Amino acid sequence: MRTKTVTTYLSKAYRRFALHILDIPSRLLALLLIVLFLTIPGILPSSKIMSYLLSVLITASVMAIFASSWDLLVGRCGQISLGHAIFYGLGAYTTALLFKHYGLPPWVGIPISVLIAAAISLPIGFPALRVKGPYLALVSLAFPLIATSIVFATKGITGGENGLPISVAGRFFQLTNIHNLRIAEYYLTFLLLLVSAIIIHKIANSDTGVVFVSILDDEMASKACGINVTRYKLMAFAISAVFASLAGGVNVHLLLSASHSDFSLTLSFFAVIMTVLGGMGTIYGAIVGAYIIYFLDMYFLRMVVEIPDVWHILIFIVPVIILVIKWPRGVARFVTDKLEDLSEERPLEERGKWIWKKYRRKKKSANED
Amino acid sequence: MHLLEVENLTKRFGGLTAVNNVSFHIDEGEIVGLIGPNGAGKTTMFNLITGFLKADSGTVKLRGENILGLAPHKIVNKGLARTFQVVRPFRHLPTIANVLVALKSPRGSDKIEWIKTRQRKALELLEDVGLSEMMMEPAEILAHGDLKRLEIARALGTNPDLLLLDEPFAGLNPIETDLLTKSLQTINLDGHTMVIVEHKLHALMKLAKRVLVLHYGEKIAEGRPEEITKNKKVIEVYMGKEK
Amino acid sequence: MFEQLLILGAVASAVYALLSLGFTLSFGIARIVNMAHGSFFMLGAYLYYAYGPRGFGKLDVFSSLILAAITVAITGAIFYRSAIHSVMGDDIALIVVTIGGALVFQQAMTIIFGVGHVTINPLWEGAIHIFNVAVTYSKIFALIISLSLFACVSIFVSKTKMGKAMRALSQDRQAAMLMGINTETLAMLTVAIAGAIAAVAGILITASTSQMADPFIWLYPLTISFAVVILGGLGSIKGTLVGALTLGFTETAVVLYFPEGGFLKTGVALAVMVAVLLVRPKGLFGKRIELEE
Repeated sequence: MRTKTVTTYLSKAYRRFALHILDIPSRLLALLLIVLFLTIPGILPSSKIMSYLLSVLITASVMAIFASSWDLLVGRCGQISLGHAIFYGLGAYTTALLFKHYGLPPWVGIPISVLIAAAISLPIGFPALRVKGPYLALVSLAFPLIATSIVFATKGITGGENGLPISVAGRFFQLTNIHNLRIAEYYLTFLLLLVSAIIIHKIANSDTGVVFVSILDDEMASKACGINVTRYKLMAFAISAVFASLAGGVNVHLLLSASHSDFSLTLSFFAVIMTVLGGMGTIYGAIVGAYIIYFLDMYFLRMVVEIPDVWHILIFIVPVIILVIKWPRGVARFVTDKLEDLSEERPLEERGKWIWKKYRRKKKSANED
Repeated sequence: MHLLEVENLTKRFGGLTAVNNVSFHIDEGEIVGLIGPNGAGKTTMFNLITGFLKADSGTVKLRGENILGLAPHKIVNKGLARTFQVVRPFRHLPTIANVLVALKSPRGSDKIEWIKTRQRKALELLEDVGLSEMMMEPAEILAHGDLKRLEIARALGTNPDLLLLDEPFAGLNPIETDLLTKSLQTINLDGHTMVIVEHKLHALMKLAKRVLVLHYGEKIAEGRPEEITKNKKVIEVYMGKEK
Repeated sequence: MFEQLLILGAVASAVYALLSLGFTLSFGIARIVNMAHGSFFMLGAYLYYAYGPRGFGKLDVFSSLILAAITVAITGAIFYRSAIHSVMGDDIALIVVTIGGALVFQQAMTIIFGVGHVTINPLWEGAIHIFNVAVTYSKIFALIISLSLFACVSIFVSKTKMGKAMRALSQDRQAAMLMGINTETLAMLTVAIAGAIAAVAGILITASTSQMADPFIWLYPLTISFAVVILGGLGSIKGTLVGALTLGFTETAVVLYFPEGGFLKTGVALAVMVAVLLVRPKGLFGKRIELEE
């Protein structure tokens, strides 16, 4: 009796897995990549270069969380934010201060700073309710700049232009072997990225996510559908702030310091670049973009080809500009579209047919009653 | 009590008075037509009633409750929905998702506990307007006639008591016009009161039991369709004075 | 103290007005939110250095100023034609491309001139006393040149035929095209003019205050330009002037009256901007839309 229910459950689960993931080539690819990334530390020999590669991937994971939070706010809800670093910096400084003054370990400190950042996201999102388009884009630039001013002016608390370092005790793992430390941090950040990505993705594709897109497309029509646009916009800001501040807080315990560059314009711009490169609105595009940029800059340009720092930005900005002009929908989206064309799969259509079949069945049984 | 009561509604844009001291009422179950030459103030009137535009003076009452000055989405959630003259679909969303948005509003969510139920309700509404085939198609590829029907399905998703339709027949061919007329009659029988702005008078006259005529922001006539078509002033306004 | 505020505030406001005018023209006429606007400011300062006595040009101060402005104008036109032109209409791509451009300019300056700062000559040595306040001739020149240029460009836009064409472009691009106006050339010209006056502003500010330039000084003018323009209303010249006055005097006041003023000034100015926006979402003189959009 028992084995029969277990096997039927397993086969049902497998069929769902096959339908949702294996049959859709882009998702299959994603799964393969995830498996690959999970096994990297296992198959690489321990060496200085590999340690460095791991730090690159760690940074990429954290930045991917940051970028995907931006994508939810901008790509899905249409609230163009060019100052997303405000949340990152908030997460960073709050975590650093909580550790420095109260000795809170990262597992406690980071969730608290995330909550604080989410709370502060509401007054920050408030101007977004009043202004739109280019005005919003430019106003959003103001917040991190105001924060930087405050950081500089309160040198006693925040360390001003020198930054706010925390002791080695602030590390996630107290491991003396650097390579092992990197491996542990790598898995931690990668898993955080997976969890964050899944949550953001679920939200983006839920009914709430559908409302977000309606606000992106036509706010007036959304209001005409009875939607409280204000509430949804603030929700988007809050959710986005949660993940952006998470990235900031995690980074503090990796680098062991918070600094005013955590509020920098460059950081905000990078969120834009990573996301647009990968494909705005897709969530996974932001992740892909982050990996491309950080891998290209930190690994390829530094270790493989060894070009002086100064040339880095030039070298990867020019292809980015070209990519944006050529593929406005983004690199990751291009790959996904190509895969769909090749396999002639239309996931949305399939899903539609499936929903329609279930609907007909329900209707039939309702009519028969 | 009237379902909708508009009294002395006025709106000025600088020197131009778009809506001038207009009063009328709508009763439950009616289909009322609102006609007038272009620029008469019909869409402005809709915008004022639905909260998209601030009125200068007057009152608007829905079931006795004053709704003037309320935010548009709040008005929708009190049972007053509208469609737009120039369609405003959510282009990035599939057709069914367009309706889902309306069903996500507080009033549209009434009696829906599960996500699946919401999906089912959306499909029902699409079936009612004949769009179920296109359910997963992105709204941006829909033809004009389909988009007009989507507008109506979406408005219905908010579970309205009163539906304001702004030129629902615009751009439809005779067959589509006929189908829409039948759909609207069914929707009315389902319990939805309607005010329809329309230029295609023959289609409107088939549906409306009562017609209001606006000209330069003023109500110049009101009555049954047969009376209105014979009204001297109305004919003058549309055709120009007889020499 | 008050006299200091008056004079220094006036100088700051004048130069901010000139700088921001370029930004407002770019947006109002060419419909571009140019993230590289601050880069024109920076390029102006660097070219003034390069053409001048300390650089390779060995020209006198005023010739280098004019030459720098012209060079930046040409650079702006090229930037428009190569990068911006192809992404017109796509707001997000435009932002990415112009950000990219700004970063390219930053790195170019780092590569050519190094990551440290270069010294910018003042326009004129010496100072005079007005109301018991020591004011350098540099600052006085900055004030006069800024106001003159601002007036010139404003008159150009409001009175000349080409200016009228530009205003047509800002109101309805398609209609302008149908009227036979060459929108592309006009947009390019606008960016060129914007670049030129931003460059001049860059020279005036660095020459009269810090007397140095580094590859990162494009961020600050970008911030100021947009703060001024947002406050005043995108696309309104009158608004730009009012916005510049507001922010110029606010910043000067903060620096003069607060101990940590140097750090706080930008923050306070921006806070003022945000406050105004909450009350007037399109800026003080921006176009206001009635319908609940």
